[in-house]
Amino acid sequence: MSDLATASYLAQADNETRLNKTLRPPFDVVHRFSAQSIIMTTIAAILLFVFLSPILLVVAVSFGEKIEGASWVWAFDPSNYARVFVGIGWPDEITLLYAYKLGYTLAYAVLGSLIAIAFAFPFTYFLSQCSRPVQAAWLVFILASLSMSEVFIVMGWDIMLSNRSGLPALFKATGVTEWLKETGWLAVLKDWGLANPRNVKFKTSQMATVLTMAYLVWPYAVILLYAPLSRIDRSMIEAARTMGAGSFTVMRTVIVPVVRIPVMGTLLLLFVYLLGAYVTVTYFAEPAHQTLPVSIYEAIRGATLNAPFGAAQAVVLLSTAGVFIFASLWLSRLAEKRGR
Amino acid sequence: MTQKFKTRRAGDLTRRSILKGAAGTAVLAAGSSLLAMPAIAQARSIKIGSYGGYFEDSFKKFVYPAFTEATGITVESVTQPNSSDWLVTMQQAAASGTVPADVSLYGKDTMIKATRIGEMLKPLDASKIPGVTNLDAEFLYEGPDGLVGVGSMAWFNAMVINPNEVTPAPTSWKEFWENPAYEGSLGISKKIDGRLLDITAKTFFDGAETLMTEDGIVAVLDKVAELKPHVALWWSAESQMEQAMKNEDVIAGSYYLDVANIMASDGFPIKPLFPVEGNPIGYGSWCLSPLSEKTGEAYEFMAFSSDPATQALMSRNIGTAPLVNRELTDLTDEEFAFVSGSPIITPAYESYLDNETFIKERWDAMLAGA
Repeated sequence: MSDLATASYLAQADNETRLNKTLRPPFDVVHRFSAQSIIMTTIAAILLFVFLSPILLVVAVSFGEKIEGASWVWAFDPSNYARVFVGIGWPDEITLLYAYKLGYTLAYAVLGSLIAIAFAFPFTYFLSQCSRPVQAAWLVFILASLSMSEVFIVMGWDIMLSNRSGLPALFKATGVTEWLKETGWLAVLKDWGLANPRNVKFKTSQMATVLTMAYLVWPYAVILLYAPLSRIDRSMIEAARTMGAGSFTVMRTVIVPVVRIPVMGTLLLLFVYLLGAYVTVTYFAEPAHQTLPVSIYEAIRGATLNAPFGAAQAVVLLSTAGVFIFASLWLSRLAEKRGR
Repeated sequence: MTQKFKTRRAGDLTRRSILKGAAGTAVLAAGSSLLAMPAIAQARSIKIGSYGGYFEDSFKKFVYPAFTEATGITVESVTQPNSSDWLVTMQQAAASGTVPADVSLYGKDTMIKATRIGEMLKPLDASKIPGVTNLDAEFLYEGPDGLVGVGSMAWFNAMVINPNEVTPAPTSWKEFWENPAYEGSLGISKKIDGRLLDITAKTFFDGAETLMTEDGIVAVLDKVAELKPHVALWWSAESQMEQAMKNEDVIAGSYYLDVANIMASDGFPIKPLFPVEGNPIGYGSWCLSPLSEKTGEAYEFMAFSSDPATQALMSRNIGTAPLVNRELTDLTDEEFAFVSGSPIITPAYESYLDNETFIKERWDAMLAGA
């Protein structure tokens, strides 16, 4: 920097200082401002502590070392992560047991949330066209149904699918079971795991698992979709209609494009919610098709008391969920750009 | 302006929450002092844990009142979800210096595990527990520091069938593997300590001995895998199997002898059997927390529990098998057959602990077919 430039810079800086002095706010404002920033910083610190410390604790536990036949101790043992990916026998042999479990976790969550939205979308669309009192009644009913816990819902489905009180009993009473036996369809269903030698059976099955999960999040889907669907400008639909578009074309070219971002958001939320489903999976999925949360629970609370391995699985599940969410956000942003 | 408003609101909130907090603390303090008063006045009490549900209810209804009548010590019943989960709870409680239960009920494997973890169980002085000699020596568990567990009762994981659907009744566990009528029809415990490994080892191999080596465990697991097409329900909670038997979602399987007998006497279609290979036995022990200040009361309770009369009381009302010689009790043949039987399959406890991670992962992989 040349001398001249330095001088002009210094002069400018001096000017600025003077300007600052004259413009400096009165003492109490500064005081209030700093008091507020202290409060904000404290709140932020508390929030960070409350939200981050459990996660950090899980990460710390995931490196613990398991003592065979006893509990575990703090350590820095990355083998828990290795076990999640390749199993305990590595490097002699590899098992993809936990990868399968992760696969089922993701598959159930994706299918469950897609089915929930597939049913919730048309329902909510027609609901948003109903009169105000009808809408209010439905929304109150749906909000109230949210108070039912997963345990109650699973209990209800369990009864519905039971041999003596549910669908199989109905099949038997109406003679469908006999017909299935005579036509040989029961043997086919048996091969699919949906029958025993006496009657059809719907639990345990992946179908029951996914349907119960979809049912579990369906009210959330309706509530989340209600606002964007009821805000759609009716004149656009009417305009499309007057130009000769059929219902399907209107849905495809007007309604879906307008609400695709909220639908994507809803899908992500339901997906994340279903990643943690536990009761549904333990009741309706056979062990071969169970998910990582069940395995996590068994590691931590089960007979082995292997909290570090449970924590390692939890970290892997969390990271996978994070990757999925970021990927879908990125994809939707990409699609948005293309759309323009 | 907005700044001011925000600041004031924040101030308001703080004041209100402080007031609320203060009021809450006052109520709590008043409450706890009220609670504390009768405790001081009332001479002796003890907190005892047992598995929640029907089991704990029977203790509260039949055993604890008899104990209070005999000793004047009142019992506060504590619900344990089961044995191993409760160990986690007690471990966390010990870290924070609290005692959720003075005396806990642990299965043998959990008890061994607790001694391996260390400082979970208080060593007991057998000379201060009169009547403990009634118990068979194998039910007094000694850790490195001496006696830590006094046997309380035994139970069986019995073979059960739905007598309306299964005729004739099976005489061997082998039939579960071999009879195609069981296809998609059995209810079996999903837990590694659900005893299917012990049953399989006894039925097709050399029993507990086979489970002592990794090769033996793999061979037994391969045999268990052959049973998979016949299993409709791998239950993880007791209530799942109960419902499945009641609903006829399963027609046979393995289940607790005591609960099966109670269900049968309530009229449900379930019948426990003792096949030629026998049924696996398990037993619970009373263990004292090292942080408990109720050692004296605990000794009196353990002495009461070891009494043949109490053992018979438990057999009659809870359906558990006595741990004292049957001749010492006044149980009739019929009553004894209701709670016990033979032959007995003794689980390979040590192997489950020494090969814990190996068995768990191989078991899960077998179930998953991975």
